[in-house]
Amino acid sequence: MKADRRTLFQKPWEFREAALIAILLNAAGFAIQYSLGGTGITMPEWPMNAITLLLSACLILAVGLSYRHNPFIAWLGGIPLGLSLILTLAALSFIGGMVPQGTAGNPTALRLGLHSIFSSWPFALIVSLFLWNLGLSLSWKLVPFSLKNLQFILFHAGFWIALSCGIFGSSDLQRLVLPVQEGQASNQGYIMKSKQAQEIPFSVFLHDFSIEEYPPQLMLYDPKNDRLIMNSSQAIPEVRAGATAEWKGISVKVTDFIPSGLPGKEGTPVPADPAIGIPFAKVRISGAAGKGELWLSTGGPMLKPGAVDLDGLFLFMVPGSPKSFRSAVTLRDENGLETIANLEVNKPVNFKGWKIYQMGYDEESGKFSTLSLLEVIRDPWLPAVYLGFFMMLGANALFFWNGIKKSGASL
Amino acid sequence: MIIDFTTAAYLSIAFWALGSMLGIAAKSSTALRKTATALNLGGSLIMIAFIAIYWHALERPPLRTLGETRLWYAALIPLVGLLVEYRWKISWLKYYCMGLAAFFLTINLLHPEVFDKALMPALQSPWFIPHVVVYLVGYVLLAASSVAGWHNIFLTYRMKDLKSNDALAHYLALLGFVFLTFGLVFGALWAKDAWGNYWSWDPKETWAFIAWLIYLGYLHAVSYKINRLKLQWYLALAFLVLLVSWFGVNYLPTAANSVHTYQQS
Ligand code: HEM
Repeated sequence: MKADRRTLFQKPWEFREAALIAILLNAAGFAIQYSLGGTGITMPEWPMNAITLLLSACLILAVGLSYRHNPFIAWLGGIPLGLSLILTLAALSFIGGMVPQGTAGNPTALRLGLHSIFSSWPFALIVSLFLWNLGLSLSWKLVPFSLKNLQFILFHAGFWIALSCGIFGSSDLQRLVLPVQEGQASNQGYIMKSKQAQEIPFSVFLHDFSIEEYPPQLMLYDPKNDRLIMNSSQAIPEVRAGATAEWKGISVKVTDFIPSGLPGKEGTPVPADPAIGIPFAKVRISGAAGKGELWLSTGGPMLKPGAVDLDGLFLFMVPGSPKSFRSAVTLRDENGLETIANLEVNKPVNFKGWKIYQMGYDEESGKFSTLSLLEVIRDPWLPAVYLGFFMMLGANALFFWNGIKKSGASL
Repeated sequence: MIIDFTTAAYLSIAFWALGSMLGIAAKSSTALRKTATALNLGGSLIMIAFIAIYWHALERPPLRTLGETRLWYAALIPLVGLLVEYRWKISWLKYYCMGLAAFFLTINLLHPEVFDKALMPALQSPWFIPHVVVYLVGYVLLAASSVAGWHNIFLTYRMKDLKSNDALAHYLALLGFVFLTFGLVFGALWAKDAWGNYWSWDPKETWAFIAWLIYLGYLHAVSYKINRLKLQWYLALAFLVLLVSWFGVNYLPTAANSVHTYQQS
């Protein structure tokens, strides 16, 4: 900040005016939010959102280019205001990072929008001014165009596009949960929050749902204190042939392991098809509570899990956590166009402008689930947001390169 | 499952400690200084070798728990210090760096982790490694910039101030910001594939965004030519925000809502 003493609003405006504006805007935002009883902002839908955004962009550019020498406009697109807004945005995000976001909470806090800060009035007002500030500074670097400004333009325009399209486009986002049973087709989606049903313009037929699990784990449970006993390395031992586990005074060795089996004659399990079998392990227990050799299983639809009582402690085997789960599906649109796809977590599939995700399954049945929960999402603004992201990354790559040269020279 | 982490950690710390003492004692002897540097490097190499063995044993990159990521910091931070010394002949930074690395290893020694081999499906993605590695490097650079900031404040009050030290702090912050931006955007691209949303204001995301904004603020303060001492304070303190986004989130009231709770311990 400058050392010369100037009074508030004496020209040229700088940080104090910027901070004041940010505070006033927040106060106004919270006042509006409170007086509306806590309802935040709802964005208009297509095409109103696109029109509003386009007109705002043109207006900002026009104002920036026509009034670039006006001291007020120069301040409006300047760094002091930008810096204040960046820090104000950080402060509002801080509320969002400290106060659990949702619909539950203290009534006053709810009414002020603290539990839904990112759709609240103060947030919207700050973001609007932010877009003005950023857009004005951009207009001055865009015209006249110079390659020297490329880094600045990519960074600032990229952020402007990502932020504005992310916010304005959020009202066009459709996101539905689609439960499908094996051997059946469905086009009935549900909105997660309201449970409201909605049809999607194609159907999904589920051929097969399958889960691959990590190896099961051995656990020692203390029922008196209702807790698991940790061994010395704090590790939960995995079950595989030859594996050993050690707890104070108890040692367990896995002498045989059948990843997928069914109970056979005389209590000896036999290997079986993974679609129906469950893991079995033969363990030799020695130590103070030695029990000799016996079979353990994780349990399944037809069999209870077996636990071994070791002087009041229970040794049992739990199924491994899911490693991957997938749905083999056929997608079919109204015109009969079909696509076969494998849906898996992290591997969504595109169909007709929708993205289809593997979301979950019936967790109670675990690997025997015949229900697959899919999520179908349509986000028409995504390409615009990604364009902004990639512009920012491009700017950063330049920044990395030029930054090295510049700083290297000044050192 | 611990492939003798204890031995590796003590060895690394011993190498760094010996190297530091030798480095301080060496003064003008080139041979001694070279030995000191070799010892310092050796400490990190041990950690890198341990990570490699551990990675192999786990059959997945050890980047899942905070305890595991601390291994990477411990290996990488001293290397940043040594690189800075090599490139800009500023040698104080490496002592802070090795101290910080030893601190991370000590945390791991005191809290043997729940080493769990399972990697949940949402984490099995080609984005996983770039996202985490980019963030790791960013955090390392920004940690170093904060250290440089504190050091500059200290020097200023001792009435010494060196332009090159300011430039170093700035350079580290700038590079750190670049990595932070990549980490943030990679995270968004990954989230779109894993959860269907590129941004959902999850507490971890929110805090990453806050930290990014704080460093964005720094860069703009620099281009507005704000008083240099203020900038050093800013850098020195900005790291606190980064610490929250890195470790602290798990302890906040919002943590229960986070989809990132797999990062526990
Ligand atoms: C709040 C609105 C913003 C305003 C008014 C603003 C304005 C400015 C101005 C005037 C400069 C100085 C350019 C120069 O000296 O040539 C600058 C630099 C910079 N801004 Fe912003 N900015 C804003 C937001 C952002 C955002 C959101 C980002 C990141 C996505 C960003 C990243 C940068 C970077 C990295 C520089 C340094 C670029 C360079 O030196 O070439 N700014 N900004």
